[in-house]
Amino acid sequence: MLEVDGLVKRYKTKDRKVVEAVKGIGFSLEAGRILAFLGPNGAGKTTTIKMIAGLINPDEGDVTVNGYSVSGKPKEALREIGAVLEGSRNLYWRLTPLENFEYWAGIRGVSRKVARERGRELMSELGLENKLGSTVQQLSRGMQQQVAICAALIHTPSLLLLDEPTLGLDLDASDRIQEYVLKLAHERGVGIVLTTHQMEIAQALADYVSIIQSGTLTLEGLKSEVLERYAGRSYLFELGAVASVEVRRKVEARGGVWSSKVEFRVVLDDPTDIYDLMRVLEPTAIVKMVRETADLAMIFREHTRMASASEEALRGVTS
Amino acid sequence: MLNALTAEWRREWIQLRRYPTEMLSELVVIVLVFYGLFLGASYMAGGAIFSGRLSDIIVGYVLWTLSMMSVGTMGWTISNEAQNGTLEQVFLSPFGAWFILLLRNMASVVISLLFTVITLFSVMAITHHYLVVSLWDVVPALLMIASAMGLGYLVASVTILMKRSQQLLNLLQFILLFLIMSPTASLSGPWRWVGIIAPFAPVVALLRNMMTKGESILSAGDWLIWSVVNAVLWLLVGLTVFAWAQKKAKRRGNLSHY
Repeated sequence: MLEVDGLVKRYKTKDRKVVEAVKGIGFSLEAGRILAFLGPNGAGKTTTIKMIAGLINPDEGDVTVNGYSVSGKPKEALREIGAVLEGSRNLYWRLTPLENFEYWAGIRGVSRKVARERGRELMSELGLENKLGSTVQQLSRGMQQQVAICAALIHTPSLLLLDEPTLGLDLDASDRIQEYVLKLAHERGVGIVLTTHQMEIAQALADYVSIIQSGTLTLEGLKSEVLERYAGRSYLFELGAVASVEVRRKVEARGGVWSSKVEFRVVLDDPTDIYDLMRVLEPTAIVKMVRETADLAMIFREHTRMASASEEALRGVTS
Repeated sequence: MLNALTAEWRREWIQLRRYPTEMLSELVVIVLVFYGLFLGASYMAGGAIFSGRLSDIIVGYVLWTLSMMSVGTMGWTISNEAQNGTLEQVFLSPFGAWFILLLRNMASVVISLLFTVITLFSVMAITHHYLVVSLWDVVPALLMIASAMGLGYLVASVTILMKRSQQLLNLLQFILLFLIMSPTASLSGPWRWVGIIAPFAPVVALLRNMMTKGESILSAGDWLIWSVVNAVLWLLVGLTVFAWAQKKAKRRGNLSHY
């Protein structure tokens, strides 16, 4: 359904240097699946999302949605895409949700009658049918975001791009959106690309996970496979006293990430490495040592840390 | 496409209806301007003026305001949509942003024209002075608006790339006013081309022939043909430059964050 092939995006900085924001990214997504597209700030997530939507032209590579190339057949491709973009309102605040649906459907070639019917249906699915007549500016932030999702779905796209859809929302609104996104994908067959910094949301929704760092995909696969890959390799240590600077450094050199002065997490490829780590910690008392089940937050933290370290090492070699 | 057109119309209409004070203040301005034109012209030249010159002034004024609106609407739409956080959604339309801008411009012109016509009839009824405006006057008006839309696309191109266009718009207003006021139609030799190619120039000559000499549109010489050529030329130039600017903005990735 979605094929992203070798996307490259370069920008010129103000001092005329060329920066490669996205470096040959490629992935695919089937209908009815959710891809969590994760990465730290500035990794190239939004640029990639906007290239998929045709809002940024790639320097190399192409995106096809249901067989339509975004650069070659934009008209056909755009009929298949709906998007809720981060940092944008995505709606006219002076209009009601229903009026917004009529407008956004209209400029996508959908008739007013169909837009009204579909808009009512979408809003009632989210329990917002009594808000059809209020202007968007009168709605809460959570409701506005739900209406924006409805507006992005008004022309029944097969691909929905959600850039930070739950950012800044309260728990209730976030839960509603998550529930709805799952329903859209698994019951309606809409392919969804989701970017978020909230790992628990990615964990709850994703079928596939991709981690992008410095414009390169550093991890991708089925969520279950990714979790399996890291399962049982993460350990939580709690010490009986504050570790010395030297001990802290040694732990960090072995991949440990300190969450407080007495607590750190570490991912060990070889379980026998734990003896080496315990020797490093001597003579500080270990009051707790737990083998953790893997979650996306831990994997993301560990993975981006490793990718940064290897990038820095590479930079050291080349400079 | 019809769905897009009606959607654009409805949006404009809803916004007008929902905020009646804005609509009312726009109406008041138009009423005052026309009332001023009627009374001012009547006072200065006596009743005789109403048969001819005043209609020229009114038609000229209406055309000028509609043209300036067409020149400015597209650029204003882009910066306004960007500030509202809806520009990217407009660019997601399969019809293309150029088409949505065209529709919005058309909607603004027609609504403004509607206001003007209603106001004009009301003022004529109050003052008991009636203008004689031929239906043929619509042809040069449409040609002038087409040229203005071409310029509008140029302003939109600047907005999309530079993110600001107000200064350009101010400057453009003076240049266009100069072109309209100058007797470009009477230029000869190679300079004659200025009167043909410069925006609005041939259509202004056409209007002058029609209004001051009382000629019919068909007997206004080559000016009708040149006006059509001029309108098509500027529209094409505007569309071509806008397509290029849009491509460049998408390459630079600056369709948002204004």
